[in-house]
Amino acid sequence: MAATRPAAEKRPSGLVVVLAFAVAVAAAVALVAVALFLRDDGGPTSVPTPVVDLAGIPQQGTVLGAPEAKVTLIEYADLQCPACRSYALNVFPAIVDANVRNGLVKTEFRGFPFIGSDSLKAQRFVLAAGLQNKLWQLQEALYRNQGQENEGWVTDELLRELAGEIPGLDVEKLFADAESNEVASTAETGFTEAQAAGIPGTPTFFVKIGDAAPYVLQTPSDSASLQAALDDALRG
Amino acid sequence: MSDRALRIAAAVVALGGLGVAGYLTWAHFADTSVICLSGGGCETVQESSYSEIAGIPVAALGVAAYAAILALVAWDTPAARLAAAVIALVGLLFSGYLLVLQLFVIDALCVWCVANDVVIAPALAVLTSLRLRTNA
Repeated sequence: MAATRPAAEKRPSGLVVVLAFAVAVAAAVALVAVALFLRDDGGPTSVPTPVVDLAGIPQQGTVLGAPEAKVTLIEYADLQCPACRSYALNVFPAIVDANVRNGLVKTEFRGFPFIGSDSLKAQRFVLAAGLQNKLWQLQEALYRNQGQENEGWVTDELLRELAGEIPGLDVEKLFADAESNEVASTAETGFTEAQAAGIPGTPTFFVKIGDAAPYVLQTPSDSASLQAALDDALRG
Repeated sequence: MSDRALRIAAAVVALGGLGVAGYLTWAHFADTSVICLSGGGCETVQESSYSEIAGIPVAALGVAAYAAILALVAWDTPAARLAAAVIALVGLLFSGYLLVLQLFVIDALCVWCVANDVVIAPALAVLTSLRLRTNA
């Protein structure tokens, strides 16, 4: 009796295996069909008007906020990165209103344009806008109008249109600066520095208190968690 | 190759798949862009419109499939072996589709995805299929 295996433990017959594999193939085909049928091929929806009012907040190059602010929030970002867009549209405005406008925190942009050529072009233009202390306005406008990655959405026409809507930004100077060797070199240096620093992706945030070494923040999913981290830093 | 060795190999490969798919799923939900070892392919692939099915990231489907295969390898009845092989075959075919998308449609390769599509999914399909030839 002990020598007899129960029927359920015998290996399946060839017919059962063939049928099971046929079911597998059918399931895979169905999965692919469903995947193609349900695919959402639209790009991000553009947001027509600014989500944050930056008027009256000091800007110097890549830094937004009072130079004497004790805490610095550093963001490594790629203008094509959807997660950076989500931060810019959904978290950043509350952070500005609660921390930057009142001079407690300043925030620094560090480009990490790793996704593709649109990233690098957008990076050059925001850096060029930084030469006129308008980096944060152009960055915000580009995020609102972000297109599908690497599909050439960072066109001169889009840049000209968005730049033209930013009060005080000299559009001709912006284009000239964006094409300059100096800005191109700064953009590439930023990329290699971020790579060398082992930045794992974008956005990546660091907090710096005074002149102390910056420490990395876990990517905040909402403004409340980032606010809690900034409150800690302001107390520290 | 003994059945024991096949079983251990299948479990190890499934764990590897779970790791890769788990990482990609985490990156998806953490709203962090994944960085590639070279270029920006991972980000392009991971954020493309092909990376989700009805809002479910394909990486999460991978996690579910690998977890199911691991459980079936542990359970190890003939029916469980057959189910593991069927899931692995579905995974292999779907991985082939994803690889074709990366090569010819999205025009970007994600090393994490390729590791799954070219190494892990085929290995698991072979290992689980070979085990159907041995008795429990």
